[in-house]
Amino acid sequence: MSDIPKRITLEEWDLRYEQLAKAGTYQPDYGGPLSRHVEDGDQRLLKLRYDNSAAALRLWNFLLTEEDRLHEARAAGKIIVGTMKDLGTVPVMAYCFENIVAFYPDGAWWIPCVMELGAGLLQIADSLGIDESFCPVRAMLGAFVTGAHFPIPDMLICSVGATCDDFSAIAQRLNGLGHPIFWWEIPHRRNPEPDETAVNLPGGFSAPQRQVEFVKSQLELIKAALEELASEKLDEQKLSAGIKKANQVRRYLAELRQLAFTAKICPVPALEMLIAEMLAIHFCSDRQETINVLKELLDEVTSRVRAGKGILDTDAARIFWVNPVADLQVMNLLEDCGGRICGTEYLFTHALDTIPEDLPPLEALAQMALADPMAGSSIDRAGRICADIRRFGAEAVLISRIPGASHCALEGQVIGEIVREKFDIPILEIEVPPVTDSMRPTVLTRLQALVETVKARRQT
Amino acid sequence: MIYAGIDAGSRAIKIILIDTENMRVIAKGLTDQGVEQDRLASGLFKRVLKQNGINKKDVAAIVATGYGRSAVSFADTTITEITCHAVGVHHLVPEAMTVIDIGGQDSKLLQLDNHGRVRDFAMNDRCAAGTGRFLEVVAERLGVELGALGQMAADSCNPASISSMCVVFAETEITGLLASGTASEDIVAGVQASIASRIISMAGRNVTPPVIFTGGVAMVSGMADAMQTALGQNVTVCHDPQMTGALGAAILASKQFNAAGT
Repeated sequence: MSDIPKRITLEEWDLRYEQLAKAGTYQPDYGGPLSRHVEDGDQRLLKLRYDNSAAALRLWNFLLTEEDRLHEARAAGKIIVGTMKDLGTVPVMAYCFENIVAFYPDGAWWIPCVMELGAGLLQIADSLGIDESFCPVRAMLGAFVTGAHFPIPDMLICSVGATCDDFSAIAQRLNGLGHPIFWWEIPHRRNPEPDETAVNLPGGFSAPQRQVEFVKSQLELIKAALEELASEKLDEQKLSAGIKKANQVRRYLAELRQLAFTAKICPVPALEMLIAEMLAIHFCSDRQETINVLKELLDEVTSRVRAGKGILDTDAARIFWVNPVADLQVMNLLEDCGGRICGTEYLFTHALDTIPEDLPPLEALAQMALADPMAGSSIDRAGRICADIRRFGAEAVLISRIPGASHCALEGQVIGEIVREKFDIPILEIEVPPVTDSMRPTVLTRLQALVETVKARRQT
Repeated sequence: MIYAGIDAGSRAIKIILIDTENMRVIAKGLTDQGVEQDRLASGLFKRVLKQNGINKKDVAAIVATGYGRSAVSFADTTITEITCHAVGVHHLVPEAMTVIDIGGQDSKLLQLDNHGRVRDFAMNDRCAAGTGRFLEVVAERLGVELGALGQMAADSCNPASISSMCVVFAETEITGLLASGTASEDIVAGVQASIASRIISMAGRNVTPPVIFTGGVAMVSGMADAMQTALGQNVTVCHDPQMTGALGAAILASKQFNAAGT
């Protein structure tokens, strides 16, 4: 820990960057001042507040240079695979191949958020008949059409079935535009019948053995397709090694979450935690660097916790956050209002659990895929949220909804009711579109009221 | 000691001054909201002080609340309208357990504990359905005064069904109903029922009596009845409902700044 932890603006980061550079702080090859990304069009960065650590700078630079990394990979003759909808299973397999780089085209939904709609991706999606009644992930269509963001992948793999209706429609539209997709099916996870063999899945869920076997058979097809594409055999040893590497990412994140959500003083902002967690899904196109970035962040947070230092007051309201936000600014707002995150559920909690290493690797990956919160019922999802609320001691729950995203629209109320029944804590639902500037007072009032309510309840 | 609460709402600015000697309201005032929110609030504050012969330096602290609270530059601090309405209603009706507050562009449902503190709350989304704005749009569309809506609803024999939860879509529905010859009275009654139903759906199963109705829309006659019908239990309109937020803000000013020893 090199300085007093605090949240700073982009302008302040430029000054701090100069200090860090003068002091000889290590910079990876993708390092540099954050403001350079604004020149590339990421206008939204001007509105955010950031953690002032060198570890956070590295995290942001890593995130914001993913497109460069993908283009470099293409130039270096690497095979690029887009793993769509599957949140954290197929990338584990893809990174076992020496010459494959996997990424997550769905991540294009952040582009309009970061570029303040300037890239025109949503308008392209509109023109293709995928309008605002769909999830903002429709921005992906625009990114494929313009080709201005990521290189067009050599192969697209997409899960369908019990995933997300919005995304299925969007991916089918993409297919219709002439991008071949390797489809694989994930069934709706159900509890085993009395006469079925039950399998306990990571995350505390269970499913019948036959469902696990079905998913395993789907993953075998993906494996064969990737082997053909890469002209490389993927044996169990390689796959196990890949799982171990993915677990290293997940273990760092588990430690980070434990420290960030339970420390007496909040040691790291909500925004940096969100980005760190997102790395579990797709490794930001570089698995080894993901490990390095997370290790540095974990070291920083550990030293802050040991020193009893953080970015907020000790009395910050402890809020459990459900669903990712479309406008990152809102996560800053919570902290501006005196709240801190104390538990998160961004629809990919299964990607934060370690993959069983004592099972045959494809079986282990099949179990992970079935543990996806989107593949199960809202009640299952709420159950996991409740377990984490208890574990992290949250005092309230904030459920953010993204306009058009069907999962957010349908699940919020169910989750809210179940949590309320179990804990009798305040639950707030807010809607967060990609750009909230005009709604800022409205969102602010709700967040402030939540924090006031938590603090008032402490007096009883 | 005198404390002031200013509720800078989306439609009106309300000010209340209380004397903590006897926790009595000693002055109040109201003006329409506008673009220059700070100037309007400041002008109203000065007017209220002058009309009641109170010197500004005798006001120990000012708390601003409401949608435009951050624009009130002369306030000592700001507190959200959720907390302020709860405190205001609890002061007037100490036994209140649920507060329904419908203002110009927000509607809220607050659950209180036995001490009048907010235990949980729900608010409308960005959409103006279920707010006072909905009633304004309807009044404009029907060419009647807002104050006439209550009587019109009472005269309705067969309230129309308004299925849309969006003000813009509902306006289209109203146009259709008018074209098909539906009586204005039935449309108004239908709209009031629609707003009430919107609020109740926000509440889920969490409505503990007594239920107190506050905010500017509580003054629109017929709305409390619509709310009562939708809820299936008694709904009591708070005394001077438009001023409850300002009252709560003034009380909180007295508590916070007394506690701080200022």
